[in-house]
Amino acid sequence: MDLFANLAHGFSVALTFNNLLFCLIGCLIGTAIGVLPGIGPVATISLLLPITFGQPATTAIIMLAGIYYGAQYGGSTTAILLNLPGEVSSVVTTLEGYKMARRGRAGAALTVAALGSFFAGTVATVVVAASGPLLTQVALSFGPADYFSLMFLGLVISAVLAQGSVVKSIGMVVLGVSMGMVGTDVQTGQQRFTFGIPELSDGVGFVSMAMGMFGIAEIILNLERPEARSVMSGKVGSLMMTREEFRRAVPSVLRGTLVGTFLGILPGGGAALSSFGSYMMERKVSKGRHEFGTGAIEGVAGPESANNAASQTSFIPLLTLGIPANAVMALMVGALIIQGIQPGPRMVEAQPDLFWGLIASMWVGNLMLLVINLPMIGMWVKLLSVPYRFMYPSIMIFCAIGVYSLQNNVFDVYQTVVFGIFGYLCSKLRLEAAPMLIGFVLGPMMEEHLRRAMLLSRGDPMVFVERPISATMLAIAAIALGAMLMPNLRKGKDAALQEGG
Amino acid sequence: MSWALSRRTVLAGSVVAGTASRRALAQAGAWPSQPIRLVVPFAPGGTTDLVARLVAAGLQERLGVSVIVENRAGAGATVGSEAVARAAPDGYTLVMSNIASHAISPAVYRGRVRYDPVADFAHIALVVSNPTVWVANPRSGIRTLQDAAAKARGPGGLDVATSGAGSSNHLMVVRMGQLIGVELNHIPFRGAGPAMQAVIAGQVPMMSDSLPSSVAHIRQGSVVAVGMASAQRHPAFPDVPTFREQGFDLASDSWFGLSAPAGTPAAIVERLNRETRAFLGSAEVRARFSELGGTPGDLTAEGYGDFVRREVALWAPLVQAAGATAD
Amino acid sequence: MKINTKDLISAALLIGFAVVGLWLNMDHTLGTARRMGPGYMPMLAFWILLGLGAIVLLLSLFNGPDPIPMWTGPEIGFLLAGAVGGTAAGLVAAGMPGWVGAGWNPLGIGLFVGCMIVSVVKSWRPLFLISAAFTLFGLLLEPLGLMVAIATSVVLSAFADETHKPVGVLGLVAFLCALCWAVFIYELDIRVPVWPVF
Repeated sequence: MDLFANLAHGFSVALTFNNLLFCLIGCLIGTAIGVLPGIGPVATISLLLPITFGQPATTAIIMLAGIYYGAQYGGSTTAILLNLPGEVSSVVTTLEGYKMARRGRAGAALTVAALGSFFAGTVATVVVAASGPLLTQVALSFGPADYFSLMFLGLVISAVLAQGSVVKSIGMVVLGVSMGMVGTDVQTGQQRFTFGIPELSDGVGFVSMAMGMFGIAEIILNLERPEARSVMSGKVGSLMMTREEFRRAVPSVLRGTLVGTFLGILPGGGAALSSFGSYMMERKVSKGRHEFGTGAIEGVAGPESANNAASQTSFIPLLTLGIPANAVMALMVGALIIQGIQPGPRMVEAQPDLFWGLIASMWVGNLMLLVINLPMIGMWVKLLSVPYRFMYPSIMIFCAIGVYSLQNNVFDVYQTVVFGIFGYLCSKLRLEAAPMLIGFVLGPMMEEHLRRAMLLSRGDPMVFVERPISATMLAIAAIALGAMLMPNLRKGKDAALQEGG
Repeated sequence: MSWALSRRTVLAGSVVAGTASRRALAQAGAWPSQPIRLVVPFAPGGTTDLVARLVAAGLQERLGVSVIVENRAGAGATVGSEAVARAAPDGYTLVMSNIASHAISPAVYRGRVRYDPVADFAHIALVVSNPTVWVANPRSGIRTLQDAAAKARGPGGLDVATSGAGSSNHLMVVRMGQLIGVELNHIPFRGAGPAMQAVIAGQVPMMSDSLPSSVAHIRQGSVVAVGMASAQRHPAFPDVPTFREQGFDLASDSWFGLSAPAGTPAAIVERLNRETRAFLGSAEVRARFSELGGTPGDLTAEGYGDFVRREVALWAPLVQAAGATAD
Repeated sequence: MKINTKDLISAALLIGFAVVGLWLNMDHTLGTARRMGPGYMPMLAFWILLGLGAIVLLLSLFNGPDPIPMWTGPEIGFLLAGAVGGTAAGLVAAGMPGWVGAGWNPLGIGLFVGCMIVSVVKSWRPLFLISAAFTLFGLLLEPLGLMVAIATSVVLSAFADETHKPVGVLGLVAFLCALCWAVFIYELDIRVPVWPVF
């Protein structure tokens, strides 16, 4: 019963007044920056890093962790209410969440997001505590070939994010992959498709793209159809979930938690894959799958749970190996190093207060977020009753400031304008933006792992089928692709026959 | 907005309160009388960023005005450096100059970097230099550089991971290949973290890394330090022989320092040099840096200027040999 | 045979991207399968894109009809005028000395002028006036500061919606200036010029 003793020790650390206070501050700041478009946890944590110098290491890390998962909570709010995804994971939340808000079920969407996240966070915390070191071995057993196949599977299934034609949405995925190629080539340092623009050497900005194609394009579309927005501002709807909605959400939350817990462990891309991996799953197996595209609660419950579970389990590589899985974790390493602590496998023995205190504080933080966010849902939803003519300039200004503050560069603002116009064009042509964004995120990672796998295998492509993990992923991808294309082609043929006859 | 209130409280408690009185004091003198901007040409979270924030905090305390870190990443650290090269030389804009922005990238982005790493800057002080260390997976059987050379000459060659193409670590791999006489199979990663993971997991047997990102893993024994690419053995790792001791004439440190636009008054440069060295010289900072594997700098402003000039001359031909261009 | 106009244009868009991409990619080394060059993956991606574009094109010939509303004469005319005017303004600005030609200002000026010309036509206003207002924010932020940028771009964007009243817009400007100052400057302390610097 070491686990319980350790957890008890952890809670005794996490529940001291100072740590509780900083956990609360972290959660509040995180929620706030999650709500603001463009300003992400990486920028905020690096801004606040100096403040933590004066605090003990455990307190500092607890606060920074609070910002991190607080931002995940907050990010879903704008995605649901305003169709503004600030991060990769919230792109998926816009799909059903924003549709729910338009149907007057914004309150239910926000509630299920908060409750699902809390549940997933609780489960993931237990997983981190009980089997962190064991799961590290799983993460270590993933080689470049396996990552490539995982990313490939991710891209294939991302086509199901689209509501319309599968071929068109695969086209958008590939377009996104192509756009991901812009910038400095990781392997050779060469510039690709940058037209000599230094700002493009780190690639097209994700936030610019997301703000333009979702946020700005949505404003323009809403302005074009005054009738649609009056519906939106008129109907706030009941805040609570109905019994029916609750019953439908429960299995989705469970499945989402499972997907997120597992994928979050994989460094680089794992956490990004989790939310739409869960969306795909819900779309295929949930009872409400026929409602997808019109605001199905499963499409919010699953991905939101997955995303929160993944953000907890992505601490595993950091805590057990000392290897940061993403930019936020890299900042955490920095914060620890400044405090004079070397993250690594020995941290569990050398810094039990920190290790178990952080784990316990994750759960405490999740509870706090729930307590903070549930009452605020009413306030958020009231925002929707503000007349749209006041809403759209405000959204525009917040997007503009957020985009500018990413790099203090107006180039990002202009880039957002261009993506706004492009996003408008795409929505007129029924080309889906979500698959494009996923392709954009996963494409470069896929390229990186493909090239590395080939370098290591001395150019032998058999490595992708010889490794069991990789082979399994590719097999699933092939089946999924076949299953998706079949009905589509058949439908096309049927339509052609009907018209011919 | 209750969060706002609490953040204020925190700030007030730890940072703002201290500076308020000093700000009034500072207004009397000529320089500094307003906040100083310290541009870090990398995204937040990297080693340079962290060190910059430490230095900023130290200078803030000594100069009595706030020193604000601003991240302007991009194009191998040249975007931020160019912005500073063009800023007013009034001592209120500084850059964290480093081996990438001032020695390697100008060669990699030839013709597209619109600043001269030597002539367009008033170099102030070397902040820290980190030796390069080669580590190996314990199960790879590589214990010395001779083992590595033997493996490189054998069938299949030797894979060496680095934190990225065009980095000083990458160029080390190229130079080492030239010394051994066999091209090494360079496996670039996106940052030192993922590369280290691949080495620990055994996917890649070796890695060329700068010491701070390897320290913890060497101490734990999850990787073996094979050779230290510096002139002397590192005080924190007296058992690890240098490259020269093992018969390979290679020594390379990655470094970063403070620089201002050319034309910054000499008095300001001197003052900044003095304050930076005083901060770096304090026992606590020295201990912290050496724990991390770095060596705090202690050069005069002229000394740092000469140092940058030597580094530029050293790396340009190596970049060409490595074939790393940005065209 | 019913033509699906939307799919037809989508196909043209995808194929266009693929062809331009393949052409641009000729600059990059392909490398070998073992040591892939920077051009290898883009080549794969653009060929797949081209193939998918072709499939969409093929399907679009049968799965219609799905027409898009025809553009009127003025709509087409001003769109072209905007494209030409914007490009011209950008090029002229790039050649000018001082602030106008510095940094990304020519791009911003070109985008702004182009969008403003097109928004003469009422049906284009939501799209291009919002884009223009967003661009204007970028143009004014650094020289004139956050407050001026917020005020001008909110006022400009207000013309995209007919239900606005002057008092409401003024109130909105005041509210947003206060809110943005409180959130971005006072709390988050982001590095943005707030007031005009003379």
